[in-house]
Amino acid sequence: MKKIHLIGMIMIGIAIYLIITAGGEVATYSNFDDARGAAGKVKVVGHLVKDKEIIYDELVDPNYFTFYMVDDNKEERKVILNQGKPQDFELSEQIVLTGKMENDEFIASEILLKCPSKYKDEEVYLKNEKG
Amino acid sequence: MDEIQYIGEHLLPGQIGRMTIILSFVASFLATIAYYFAEQKKESVEATGWIKIGRFSYIIHGVSLFITIACIFYVMYFRMYEYEYARLHVSNDLEMKYILSAFWEGQEGSFLLWMFWHVVLGFILIRVAKNWEAPVMSILSLVQLFIGSMILGVYILETKIGANPLMLFRDTMDIPLFAQADYVDLLTGNGLNPLLQNYWMTIHPPTLFLGFASTTIPFCYAIAGLWNGKHQEMLKVSFPWALFSGAILGTGILMGGAWAYEALTFGGYWAWDPVENASLVPWILIVAGIHTHLIARATGHSIRSTYLFYLMTFFFILYSTFLTRSGILGETSVHAFTEMGLERQLLVFTAFFFVFPLFIFFIKQKSITRIEEEEALASKEFWMFIGSLVLLFSACLITASTSLPVYNKIAELFQPGFEGYVIQDPVEHHNKYQLWIGVFIGLLSGVAQSFRFREANWGAVSRKYFLHLGISIVIAATLTFAAAQWINVYAWQYQILLFSGLFAVVANLDYLFTFVRGNLKLAGSVISHIGFGLMIVGILASSLNKEHISTDPFTQRGLLNEEMLKRNVILFEGKPALLNGYEITYQRDSMIDRMRTYDINFKKLNQEGKVVEDFMVYPTAQFDNKLIKVAAYNPSTQHYLDKDIFTHIATLPKKEADREEAQRMEDSLNYRIIEVPLGAEMTFIDTLNLSDTTMINQFRISIESIIPNATHPDYKSKEKDLAIGAKVKIQQVGKPENYEASPVAVLRNNLVYTYPVQINDLAFKIKLPSSFFDKFFAAEMNLEYRNFDLKEGDAINFNGYEIKLEQVARDPKHPNYQAKKDDIAVGAILKVTKNGESKSELAQPIYLIRKMNPMMIKDKLTTHGLNFQFTKIDPSTGKMSIGIAQSEANITYPIEFATNSLRTDYIVFEAIIFPGINFFWTGSIMMMLGLAMSWIKRRFELKR
Repeated sequence: MKKIHLIGMIMIGIAIYLIITAGGEVATYSNFDDARGAAGKVKVVGHLVKDKEIIYDELVDPNYFTFYMVDDNKEERKVILNQGKPQDFELSEQIVLTGKMENDEFIASEILLKCPSKYKDEEVYLKNEKG
Repeated sequence: MDEIQYIGEHLLPGQIGRMTIILSFVASFLATIAYYFAEQKKESVEATGWIKIGRFSYIIHGVSLFITIACIFYVMYFRMYEYEYARLHVSNDLEMKYILSAFWEGQEGSFLLWMFWHVVLGFILIRVAKNWEAPVMSILSLVQLFIGSMILGVYILETKIGANPLMLFRDTMDIPLFAQADYVDLLTGNGLNPLLQNYWMTIHPPTLFLGFASTTIPFCYAIAGLWNGKHQEMLKVSFPWALFSGAILGTGILMGGAWAYEALTFGGYWAWDPVENASLVPWILIVAGIHTHLIARATGHSIRSTYLFYLMTFFFILYSTFLTRSGILGETSVHAFTEMGLERQLLVFTAFFFVFPLFIFFIKQKSITRIEEEEALASKEFWMFIGSLVLLFSACLITASTSLPVYNKIAELFQPGFEGYVIQDPVEHHNKYQLWIGVFIGLLSGVAQSFRFREANWGAVSRKYFLHLGISIVIAATLTFAAAQWINVYAWQYQILLFSGLFAVVANLDYLFTFVRGNLKLAGSVISHIGFGLMIVGILASSLNKEHISTDPFTQRGLLNEEMLKRNVILFEGKPALLNGYEITYQRDSMIDRMRTYDINFKKLNQEGKVVEDFMVYPTAQFDNKLIKVAAYNPSTQHYLDKDIFTHIATLPKKEADREEAQRMEDSLNYRIIEVPLGAEMTFIDTLNLSDTTMINQFRISIESIIPNATHPDYKSKEKDLAIGAKVKIQQVGKPENYEASPVAVLRNNLVYTYPVQINDLAFKIKLPSSFFDKFFAAEMNLEYRNFDLKEGDAINFNGYEIKLEQVARDPKHPNYQAKKDDIAVGAILKVTKNGESKSELAQPIYLIRKMNPMMIKDKLTTHGLNFQFTKIDPSTGKMSIGIAQSEANITYPIEFATNSLRTDYIVFEAIIFPGINFFWTGSIMMMLGLAMSWIKRRFELKR
């Protein structure tokens, strides 16, 4: 057997090992209930509760932002984000949070918004007009 | 239904463009076929005929494509919104310099850009490829045929093939608007996304697409080589193309990183976003291919690998196209294109170029001579090949992770309702694996460089080799130790990476001076590898030691976990904030077009508090096309040799960031009118109902004076305007600060315009109501002046005041009077003393001749209700006519005010130090430069 083949096989072995271990780094989107049981950070997906208060007063603390989110299980939780309020927050269709539960609140370290694009918006509008 | 005769449509460019799209598609098909036969029958006399047809077809294809592009530019340039593409991507207010960006903003435009480069490269190949023209151009034409199908926009058996960029708006949708014959006049354009309105959008896509297009050429040569079996010759002629491709594609990717760093606010150049990964993988593969290519040319080993690398490179270009354009990435990426409904077509396209090249490879690879003899351990080819394997390994890992959304999609097909998986933290995930790739590449590029190909004399040179290797290791280790102190590298994994980067630099420098000595052929490689090492150092320095200036100085670093780190601070206009050794002041802001620029001053202080450095940054807020909301915040960076200070605005006050919101907030203000005495203080109480409490505040307010010809920052004066201001003083009872404000009301064509003033510290907004004018005129009208003729020094008695003409002054100075050129102005200085009091006050009415017209500028002593005017000068007697009138003392004026008007004089701000980031830029630019040097070198070699 050639040396090259040996090295190739070692690399394939490492690759398989890495893929198996990387399994721990992927997960489905969680809900608040999963987050309560989880040891580390999780990603929770849900929607903004529009009729509950959204607090961001930069004059009090520019790094404190809270709102209520409801997950796919219809569980509603207060979310605390130690960052500024993202742009176009109120327009979001879906929110993906990374963080953990602490008591009854979800402490988020990262937030990702899914916003309707302007093109899609227009399409919907035009379709309505048609119907 | 009757056909409507539409008015105002320009149908010609669309007709031409749609025709040339079809023509270029058909011509690329013809070129594929003709070149195919030219290659198949190259031994016969027919070949030259086929070549001619192929060439002709490809030229027709190219020219048609240029006409198509010209038609699209034409409809975009003249804002013909009846065309869907123009309507979506340009608008009336879009600046001309962004028209290129608008062209490739859409999917169709970027397909055309890609094809454009293929045409250009194809034309070059026709000139230079000689006997490789037929097979190479046949494959290139085939690629063009596939891409061309993406913009066809025809329906075959109910299936949409491609999206035509020259569709009319009315053909894309069926809405009632099109019942109107003159609908064209009603259309407006959407314009270019404001985030894309910068010069990066002008230069990054063409470079990246040239990079994409350039990978096609080694691919075509690879297929051609398998086809005609002339492997060695193929390796010779295709090498410059591969090097060119590596340099250009790399530059394109790097520009994307520079764009992200310079113009976006996430604070970095690389985020392991799927779209970024998708363009990185082909680059890694072509670099691996270049290495095996070198081995193949020097030793005859690795020819198969070279073929496979070039075939894979092109496939991964298509795969990245599929990922970014099919919408499959969904929420895992921030910058995928909007969907176009062509997913299946893209899938077919990608799958074809996976199956077809592999098929050719497996049936033809037997013709490649296999060298049974094994590479020696002490040879360059052995270690270079290992390096290529490491690169391949890296590409596989990145692809495996980036393709997660694809597995999810496949799983969903078999198991409806399947919940997709996501990578929890992509940046950490990729960094963890790619770190070791970096270590291996760094070490290999140092170790392999000094070996020779097919080393036959190892015994004799081994001593020298190990000596140099040893010295390099010692120097690199010393440097690592020093650098680790500078950039705080504590984790052993990072220390190893740092060592491998520095080792690559040292070993390659050593190689440059001891072996290369001006041999240009090798210099490119050395420069690239030194660049790689520096890049590693830069990545470590800038990402491990990223440090926030804009954080609360009282929180200790390291005590808080990541999500608790306060990233932003609030800066009030004109008030310096002391943060982590910097005094930061938001000085002012200004609006130009759609961009508001903030002038922010940084002063670095030393231990004694002395200023050691003083600079400005200018972050901006860019408003959307309708000027209603902030669309994007753009950073501003202060560059140093050893670090960057990266700053951007995180948030603006709502009233500043969103005009609709500002209007809502203004409407919700509770304005009250109070009568304020002129020259005397009054106190009033304001009750403010907040959601759960009631606040009671007491204010003292007075009008100091009425200002004729008043000015206000927002007011632009016009002739015949009457602009009156009131200088108002306000104090909150119980607080020491006194505030002054001068709201202005303007009477223009019988309409009153009011210019309010915000007192931020009190959340107080104050303006002059229209009734202010009524009061103002009434006070002026009812005055009855009595005239007195006085000489200098004369005094008279008036309503219990002694009034003495103290002096007649030339060129008088008075707040109510602004001198102009050629004015003749005389002021009468009057000393007014109330009977029985010793204190006196001065008044100065002015007599003025401006442009031959006599005018009077009045003066008044508001506390006494005395008004003065200077009506006339009698030159014969030297007497001055002074009119004096008594008005009611302590007159009041209405003032309108609102409390709880939120302040607007601040920004929420983030500032980060990136140390050593220039190592990253220098290193990565050197990598591309090295590739470009090798390309030029090989290109000339081939010509000779």
